Amino acid sequence: MTDLAARLEGVSKTYAHFSLQDIGLDLPQGSVTGFIGANGAGKSTTIRILMGLVHQDRGSVTVMGHAMPAAQAAAKRDIGFVSEDMRLYKAATVGWHMDFVRSVFPGWDQAYADQLLRRFDLKAEHPVKGLSHGQRVKAALLLALARRPRLLVLDEPTTGLDPVARHEVLAALMEALMDESRTILFSSQNTLDVEQISDQICFIDRGRIIESGDKESFLDRWRRVRLDVPPDVTLPAQMGAIPSPVASRSGRLTAVITKSFDQGMTDAYQAAGARVLSVEPMTLEEIFVANVLSNREAAHQ
Amino acid sequence: MNNARLDWNLVQILVHKDWYFMRQALVAYLGAGLLGLFLMSAGSEGTFYAGAVLLFTVLISLGIHLAMATVVQERTQQTLAFVMTLPISPREYTMAKMLANLVIFMVPWLTTVVGSVLVLHFGLQSGGLIPFALVVLTEIFLAYLVVLAVALVTESEGWAIATMVTMNLFFQGFLYLVSHMPGIAETMKGASAVWSPTALGLLMVEMALIAVVIGMTFRRQGLKNDFI
Repeated sequence: MTDLAARLEGVSKTYAHFSLQDIGLDLPQGSVTGFIGANGAGKSTTIRILMGLVHQDRGSVTVMGHAMPAAQAAAKRDIGFVSEDMRLYKAATVGWHMDFVRSVFPGWDQAYADQLLRRFDLKAEHPVKGLSHGQRVKAALLLALARRPRLLVLDEPTTGLDPVARHEVLAALMEALMDESRTILFSSQNTLDVEQISDQICFIDRGRIIESGDKESFLDRWRRVRLDVPPDVTLPAQMGAIPSPVASRSGRLTAVITKSFDQGMTDAYQAAGARVLSVEPMTLEEIFVANVLSNREAAHQ
Repeated sequence: MNNARLDWNLVQILVHKDWYFMRQALVAYLGAGLLGLFLMSAGSEGTFYAGAVLLFTVLISLGIHLAMATVVQERTQQTLAFVMTLPISPREYTMAKMLANLVIFMVPWLTTVVGSVLVLHFGLQSGGLIPFALVVLTEIFLAYLVVLAVALVTESEGWAIATMVTMNLFFQGFLYLVSHMPGIAETMKGASAVWSPTALGLLMVEMALIAVVIGMTFRRQGLKNDFI
């Protein structure tokens, strides 16, 4: 556990209409983990369990060396948390919130807070009531970053932001990454945001982690192979090839998606009589969609 | 609920936060309460009843306002997530909420209690009403705690409102029952307070129920698994 900022092992939580099942998630110290899932996949529930705000039915959660949820107060001294559905007090100003959080966290960095205030184009005397959604997210991020947490947990912080606000938030996060000892868990439906800042990727769907690993390996392993397949040729089964519906066929042209590409795969297709038209890298979004669809298909079968 | 020591500094910060947000409302309720006391002491029977009704209304309204603003709205307006990101345990949160509510409510409630006793004893020479007034004011305090407890445990606007309605209906019946109760009714019109066993018994039962409600609130909160 010494190298891990957080670990979830065999975590389950059952609600009336949703269940989180056997979640295992490791956050190495200094890593930036992108936590990707569709709406209702279980990202927020997992994060709330990690924060100690929701108690797991089964499994263990350790954050910054503290068992959760029992030691959540101690663990949260080292955690900065921003969630898309978190709101600040409308009746108070941004400055009041800064003073409030500073009174709780001795490590509050006022110079950094002032710098973020300027960068985010916020004013301390701004009442929260008059802030736009983007400004509210930036204010919440300021409050989380200026306490200099060792673990930063961000639950869909860029959801609903306009492109400029999203850029500002991501830029602030990039700067936060300069501190190599800081661990970040970043959940989003937006794979582009995750791809920009993450070095670890974790996909969740329907309450289960369906794949996780380092981002580069994801991008290296996943390929789309476009083939020209004569009518009398049957493609050989390939390790790692994702079955229908991800593979698609239109006349002689076929696209096969694989999660473990190697040269032997194209050699085998060619030996069977197919012509390899191209081998294309995939974006994280394409990988995520292919992964989710193939897992759902496998679950149906 | 774990048995780690409470961080009283953090509890104090959270109490201060609720005090800050309620301070203007508190001044308004206090002003209305003082107006009620003034009317009670004005001399005529009409102003006395108007003042008493205003006092009861102020305290009941304050209780409803406090429970809704400091507990229910913290959930509905999604500021609870912000508070719970602080290094706070559920037990510290509950302690802070109970203390903040008690402190804020006690300011006008104690002002009303002391003011009523002074007005009745010295102003109107109607000390016989003091036991009745204290029993009724303590019932308002108890009813407020019940509403607060339901709001804290359920965090539900619906349950909180249903409890408020129930407690207010109960209050009307309670007023009638106590004012006709042997041991209280016959001494109400006297110039000095008579502490009959009935009056003392009612006060003791109310105090015991207050302790039970506070204890059960902590116990139920300790069993709670999900905070947001």
